[in-house]
Amino acid sequence: MLKLAFYGKGGIGKSTTVSNLASAFAADGLKVMQIGCDPKADSTASLHGGTRIRSILDLVRERNNDFTLDEMVRVGDGGVLCVEAGGPTPGLGCAGRGIIAALEKLQEKGAYDVYKPDVVLYDVLGDVVCGGFSMPMRKGYADRVFILTSGETMSVYAAANIAMAVRNFRGRGYASLGGFILNRRNAPDEDEKAAKLAADFDSAIVGALDWSETVQQAERLGRTAVHAFPESPMAAQYRTLAEAVLAAAKKGDAPC
Amino acid sequence: MKQTARIISIHAADTSGVCSMLYELGGMVVVHDASGCNSTYSTHDEPRWYRQDSMIYISALTETDAILGNDEKLIADIAAAAKDLSPNFIAVCGAPVPLLAGTDFPAIAAEIEARTGIPAFGLHTSGMHSYLAGASEALEAVVSHFCTEALPRTDAPSANIIGATPLDFSVNGAVESVIGWLKKSGFELVSCMAMGSTLDDIRRASAAHVNLVVSSCGIAAAELLRKRFGTPWIAGVPVGEKFSARLASALKTAAASGGCALTCAERDASAPGRKLAIPGEAVFSGSLAAAIEADLGTPCRVLCPLEAEDRLLAPGDLRIFDEDAASAAFAEASGVIADPMYAPVCPPDVPFFRLPHEAFSGRCYRKESLNLIDHPLPWRF
Repeated sequence: MLKLAFYGKGGIGKSTTVSNLASAFAADGLKVMQIGCDPKADSTASLHGGTRIRSILDLVRERNNDFTLDEMVRVGDGGVLCVEAGGPTPGLGCAGRGIIAALEKLQEKGAYDVYKPDVVLYDVLGDVVCGGFSMPMRKGYADRVFILTSGETMSVYAAANIAMAVRNFRGRGYASLGGFILNRRNAPDEDEKAAKLAADFDSAIVGALDWSETVQQAERLGRTAVHAFPESPMAAQYRTLAEAVLAAAKKGDAPC
Repeated sequence: MKQTARIISIHAADTSGVCSMLYELGGMVVVHDASGCNSTYSTHDEPRWYRQDSMIYISALTETDAILGNDEKLIADIAAAAKDLSPNFIAVCGAPVPLLAGTDFPAIAAEIEARTGIPAFGLHTSGMHSYLAGASEALEAVVSHFCTEALPRTDAPSANIIGATPLDFSVNGAVESVIGWLKKSGFELVSCMAMGSTLDDIRRASAAHVNLVVSSCGIAAAELLRKRFGTPWIAGVPVGEKFSARLASALKTAAASGGCALTCAERDASAPGRKLAIPGEAVFSGSLAAAIEADLGTPCRVLCPLEAEDRLLAPGDLRIFDEDAASAAFAEASGVIADPMYAPVCPPDVPFFRLPHEAFSGRCYRKESLNLIDHPLPWRF
């Protein structure tokens, strides 16, 4: 079982990219579990016709502990096993603690042992703003962290912060850095900026995605590009990225 | 009211369980909590505090540390103190504030171990569970770290006692009585986890032929020893004449056959009729119930207010989650044997027999505590 966590600045396209990777892995015959770690609980929407599934914390809120594993894990397009951690009422509670509680609940109910996925993808909210959002990279969860970035300054800045957090956690047995994913926004010198960022952390750009209207069209259909337009050049880019991510994840510990 | 204690006490929390279990092992125990809370774990719940040294510390967590995630301060403070103290190990565990902040204690322990070279482990206490959860995890961690070598079994039959803390047994000679009873029953003691033995004694645990689990907090460690070394375990406390004899026989059978047994739960409380109610920790209360039934012929029912696996309860035993449930169960009983703090919720027409339990009332009734091990039962019903 390979467990991968995806981080990056809010709005950079993490959920879109992770859902397309899930579709690509699933189309390749792998059993995939995608876990949204964002209080908005919309990570897996494009694997469910654009609708949100009920989150773990929704279930906890309504029924305390009286629910089953298959109520937490819903099967989406291509057979992808979809989970949303969910979060507290906006403006109240603690979202980070919510992520911890949700992931612990998933483990406690035996999700990994029962479904035995080949690949687990954690799609994590924006920055590592508190302890809760480092949960997916803690020991026993993800093995590798991939950071999405564009060439825009704020995105590079956020990516560097996340990479720094991964580096700081090196002594804790946490996930190591698998690499960076460039999600192009057509910013000036975009490839160069991303390459410099990766080099600063002795890492690499494992793959790059172009901005494409195909992705927007698929999202309007509530689908991933890989699922809705499998013959499109964009779907091909996602499949290439999926291969590269797998290869990078299977490599020995990254230097970071 | 559900899950509420308006009148009676609640049991000591998981942090107290960690401190109690590790107290005598020469390790440094650090609870990541606000300054001042150490008195709860180490004074109110700890009869050894004024007569036996131990390295139990509080991190003096501040609001700023919690907000800023100052794990580095905690790690550096522990590493600096460990340099002076040279403990056998370092255990670090949490309280409610670290729970909310999501502090990762196993990861912090890994950093401490890397910096100090001293074995370190993080425990998942939060103050939200009973002492049994903390004591269980702490002892399992000790066994996991230090009982790694498969030693040859001793020539003569031998046993470890697993799960002994003052929270269940006070410091009234009860644990020494269990050791004496073991010897009378034909077993040498290898170690007592964790009262009266050193960490080196515990390192030799794999040399024992059988393990005697005297509290449910010892089951996880006993299971680990069974998995690692094939050592069978028996759960029960030697109280009363006939039950103690049954327990000795079960130990001998286990040592010979390798099979485990929950002797304390080999009862049946499901027959109709009023019974003597015994609320408390499952292994001790189950053993006491079996002893009273065997020696005095009075039917008993265990009321379990603590975490316990289903297999530790006999048919007809009852889980009680709050004082309303306790009060209702007492009203149906022929009598109650319980910590004095239960007395206010016992109906006046139901006879109440006082049996202090340190994990429930701390030091309040310590002078009244009874050593029931290898002594005739003091009651007649």
